[in-house]
Order: sequence, then C-alpha cells, then structure tokens
Amino acid sequence: MRDALRAAWTIAGKDLAIEWRTKTALVSSLTFAVLVLAVLYFARDPTAVGAVDIAPGALWVTFTFAAMIGLNRAFLLERENRAMDGIMLAPVSPQAVFFGKLAANLVFVGTVELVSLPLFILFYDVPIVRGLPALVGITAMATLAFVAVGTLLSSMVVRTRFAELMLPLLLLPFLVPPVVGAVQATARILADRPLSEVEGWLKLLAAFDIVFVTLSTFLFEATLEE
Amino acid sequence: MPPAEPVLAAREVTRRFGHRRVLSGVSLQLVPGEALLLVGPNGAGKTTLLRVLAGLLRASGGRVERRGQVGMVAHASMLYDALTARENLRFFARLHGGASGGRVDPLLERMGLSARADERVGAFSRGMTQRLAIARALLPDPEILLLDEPLTGLDDASSEQVLAVLGELRARGRALVIASHQLAELMGVVTAVGFLTRGELRAVEPTAGRDVAAITARYREVTSRA
Amino acid sequence: MTREKAETLARRGTLLTSVALVALAAVYLRALMFTPVERFQGPAQKIFYVHAPAAWSGLLAFAVTGLLSVLYLWLRDRKVDLVAAASAEVGLAFSVIMLTTGPLWGKPVWGTWWTWDARLTSTLFIFLLFVGYQVLRGAILDPETRARYSSVIGILGLVLVPFIHMTVYLFRTLHPDPVVMKPGSPALPGDMLVTLLTSFGVFTLLYLGFLAQRYALGVLRDLKEEEASRAVS
Repeated sequence: MRDALRAAWTIAGKDLAIEWRTKTALVSSLTFAVLVLAVLYFARDPTAVGAVDIAPGALWVTFTFAAMIGLNRAFLLERENRAMDGIMLAPVSPQAVFFGKLAANLVFVGTVELVSLPLFILFYDVPIVRGLPALVGITAMATLAFVAVGTLLSSMVVRTRFAELMLPLLLLPFLVPPVVGAVQATARILADRPLSEVEGWLKLLAAFDIVFVTLSTFLFEATLEE
Repeated sequence: MPPAEPVLAAREVTRRFGHRRVLSGVSLQLVPGEALLLVGPNGAGKTTLLRVLAGLLRASGGRVERRGQVGMVAHASMLYDALTARENLRFFARLHGGASGGRVDPLLERMGLSARADERVGAFSRGMTQRLAIARALLPDPEILLLDEPLTGLDDASSEQVLAVLGELRARGRALVIASHQLAELMGVVTAVGFLTRGELRAVEPTAGRDVAAITARYREVTSRA
Repeated sequence: MTREKAETLARRGTLLTSVALVALAAVYLRALMFTPVERFQGPAQKIFYVHAPAAWSGLLAFAVTGLLSVLYLWLRDRKVDLVAAASAEVGLAFSVIMLTTGPLWGKPVWGTWWTWDARLTSTLFIFLLFVGYQVLRGAILDPETRARYSSVIGILGLVLVPFIHMTVYLFRTLHPDPVVMKPGSPALPGDMLVTLLTSFGVFTLLYLGFLAQRYALGVLRDLKEEEASRAVS
C-alpha cells in the first residue's frame, strides 16, 4: 500500500511539474472560467433575477466546464511518446497510476477553483461567507466526485479521435448528483440556512464520492491496453 | 556444468487483433548471455512479439515466462519531452525503486549524455533520445532487454555507441531480443537469428561460425516455403 | 457460434417479434375498443398502455446491459459483449418510444409536456447514457478494446441511475412543486389492469425478440468480418 502511494505521489509530482512548465491547460481553463462567469452573469434579465440567485449554479457550471477542458491533459501526456508503456514496465500497480492521475487532476481543478472563487465573489457580489468552511467542504466533495469519474473516462476517450467531444458527452450524466447537491447546498449556505437543511445533500455527496471513487479505481485497469 | 535456465521463454504464443492473427504459435527461449535477432518483413509481427514478451500485451494463447526484470527500448522513446534527461531518469528510477536511483548518473555517463543531462528531451536529436531511452530501460538493471529497431535513424557515432553497450550487456550475462532488419551491423552482437513471417517464427539459426551471406541465404530458403 | 446457429437464432427472434407485434396490435385493439375510458384523463390516458411498458423495456434493457458489462469484465467472452451491445441498441429504441409517448400523454393529462420528477429524469438519463454508449462504441475500432470500454460505461451507468433518482427525489421533496396530477401508476380497476399487464407482457416479448434478432445480427456480422480477414491473410 505504501509503495502504491509512493508511486502515485511520484506520478502526480511529475504531471504537475510538466504542467507547470507549459501551463497551457491551466491558462486555458482559467480563461474559460472567467468567460463563463461573465457570460452567465449577463444571460438573464437583471430586473427579474438577482445575481445572487443564479450564483451557485453559475459557479458550478463554471467549475465543471473549466475542469473538463483540463481533464484530458493527464492521459494525452502519456500518449505523446508512449511514456505510459514505460510506467507499466515498472512495478507499479494500475491503482497507483490512477491515484497519481487523480491527485494531479485534483490539484489542477482545485487551482482553477481557487482562482475562480474570488472572481466569482467579486462579479456576483456574493455575501461572504460565514459558511466558508462548509462551502470549502462541499466544493471538495463535489470536485472529488466528478474528477474521479472524469479521470477514468479520459483514460478511455484519449484513444479516440474526438476526445474533446467525447469526454463531456460521457461525463455530463455523472455530474448531475454531485453538481445538483453542491448547488443546493451552496445556495442554502449562502442564504444562511441552518446546516440541518443541507444534511441530505451532504449524505448524497458523501455516498457518491465513496461509491464512485472506489468503482473508478477498480475499473481503471480495464482501460489500459492489454 | 548443467545448461543454464532460460531467463525468457515464449510457449506457443498467439496474439489476435480482432479477427486477425498477428502471432501464431511462437515459441522461443533465451538463457543469460544470449542475444536473439528477429528479422522479417514489415507487418510480420516483430513489434507485437516484443510487446507480448515485455508483458505490455497479453497473449491471446500460449504463455510467456520471465525470470527477471524486463527493460524495453521501442520506436517511441517513452520519455517526457518537457522534462530534462536527468529528470526523466529520476522519475522512472523512483518508479522502479531499489537501487535504480543510484544508477541515474552512471548511466548518463555511460551513454555519453552527462553534458546535456539538464536539457529538455524535446530538444534532443534522435541519436541522443535513443541513448537516453536505453539508459531509461537499463535503470533497474534488467535481466532481459528488448529492443525494437534500435539502430534506425542513428548516425554512425551513435550506432557504434549503442552496439558497444549491447555487446557489454551480453558479456555481463543479460539476455537480449532485438528486432531489426540491419543484420550486418548486429551480426557481431547476436548469438542467433529468428525469422518471423506473417506472425510465425519459421526458424531460429545460431550465428556461430556463419557470416551474413550464409544467414541471408538461409532466410530466403526458409521464407520462400509458403 | 456457427453461422447456422446464428441464422436459426435470427429466425426464432423474428418469429418471436412477429408474434409479439401481432399481440401488440391485439392489445391496442383491446385498449382502444374494449377498455373503458378513464374518467379524469380521458382518451389520452390510453397512451399509458404503450408508454409505461416501453419505459419498462427500456429499463430492462439498461439493467441487462449493465449486468452483462460486469459479466464481460469477468469472463472476457466476446459473445457477452455482443449481447450487451444488442440490448443497448434495443433499449435505445424503447427509450425513444418512451420519451416521445410520455409528453404526448403528459400534455393533455397534466397540462405540461415535461416535468422533472425522479422517474422521468432517470429515464431521460438512461436514454442519454445509451447514446453515450453507442457513440463510444462507434469511436473504437479494436473489438476487444471496444468491449472493455463499453463494459466500463455500462457499469458506471448502472450505478449512476439510482443516484440520479435519489438526487431528483431530494430536489423535489425539498422543493415542493404545485403538482397538477402526480404521474404515478394510479390504482387501476380490473379491465384496465388486465390491458396494462398484458401490454407489459407483450413488450417484454418484444424486447426478447428484438434482442435475439439484434444479437444474431451482431454474430453474423462478426463471422463475416472473420471470413474477410482470413481471405486477406
């Protein structure tokens, strides 16, 4: 188990080092996030709908779509010079490879979220945030959910010709439970509702996380070339 | 002295791609210190056979037995263009674990890359990339080394260096399988030549006491039988 | 499977489908002529006799694909993948029927074409997952890789649908909507129940018939490809 974690850490570190050098995916995702936030702000009748009302939805649409831009990066990198073959020749388990890729993707998406959040608070004039710790927790849970499934799916779609199209097509159904949960919980926290109202959503998020992270870890091996 | 145990053996290996049989009933074995050259036309299945021997592909039928680590040098470098030579080797060394870490600098030295060790691989020439790929493959000091067209695209100086390294490995008791059409250059290194046509290993001829002309004649003889 | 067996299966499947279609016609006749008109919903309610069983067939097909996906990853038998794929295609067809008859029933009865309740939303996503499954299959050439990847999606989808159901249920209970008429299975009196149950039976037969035909077609196509590749080498 410790070896697996060490291998995962090594892989994640390498991924992030490479991304930091080129920064292509990161810059694209961040720019995309800002654009989506701006467009969604204007895509309403301001006299009828307050910015605060659409805020949670806008935030999560931004997070998920910006994330999807960056998810394919993880496995496209390995296809370049067939580096994945080099990894598989080493005594590394497929689960370790998955954890490494998942960790790198989480850092990537987390960075995008971290940078977009202040912009979001600024653009949408959102009341900050006595419930900040709760918000961070919810964001973490929902992000883990869709990044785990997204990582698994991207390892399959990078092999196809239309990876950029196929990932959203396959991933979007899996965004429904975590994103709905996150938006509902976020909306209530921003409206200063008691935490007990959010309980149901938190349970859903937690259950989804446990089930899908486990499932994705086990299914990953089936996506590697045999 | 009893005959040495084979370090690599293939027993009736078959590999299908969809309905096509890419390999049919391939059997071979190597003891330490032996080097097998695989010759055959394009599409004969040389690359597939090497990948099955390496464990990167599963055999559809039959099995492969390995007694020791496998290193592989393929047409793709299995390296990350955005990282430096040293960073690449350090990454794979960490994945292999053990004493591999200590071999990074000596291998860079041996392959004549010490001076360029901190430059990005993306800027390397084909010869340098190939030498680095060999260094990567040798990190775990593998008992078995598989090479797919190792001399293709190399200038004379790089070629000689690679041949010298291969000779050393053989002398140190490593087993080599090399797929190449450059019989003349590799004649001095290998101990046997295998003829692969349409997925079948038609014959394996020892090179002891024979010259290139003799082997070539034998090849024509064996492969002209339909 | 040999060519003869596949052709026999295709013939049997066609027979089953034909019988089921005749039975379906009989069910419609009964539904339209001999089953009483529902008091509140009027004649439009009769679409229910098609809609609910179609939804059932779609759901059945989805479950079959999902379970066979698990089986494939365990056994790695290509036939299992062919059945799963056949079920997915048939399920896609039934889903389309369900999604088109649903609004046709809903509009006159509830006054709205669509409502985001747990059941409808789940069936919509079953349809979308079927589409994704087909698109993924179409994008991969190697049959073995295609089978593996399809299985991954099949399993993920099967586990996802209960979560979607739960999500929408939570959404609804915490956001009570003024519901005009709840789209549930109302308690049906005798005649209607018989018609409905018969329709369920007929649609199940239809599913099995189509499945047999589509699977046989898949096997025959596979055999043809095998002959073709042998001819080339």
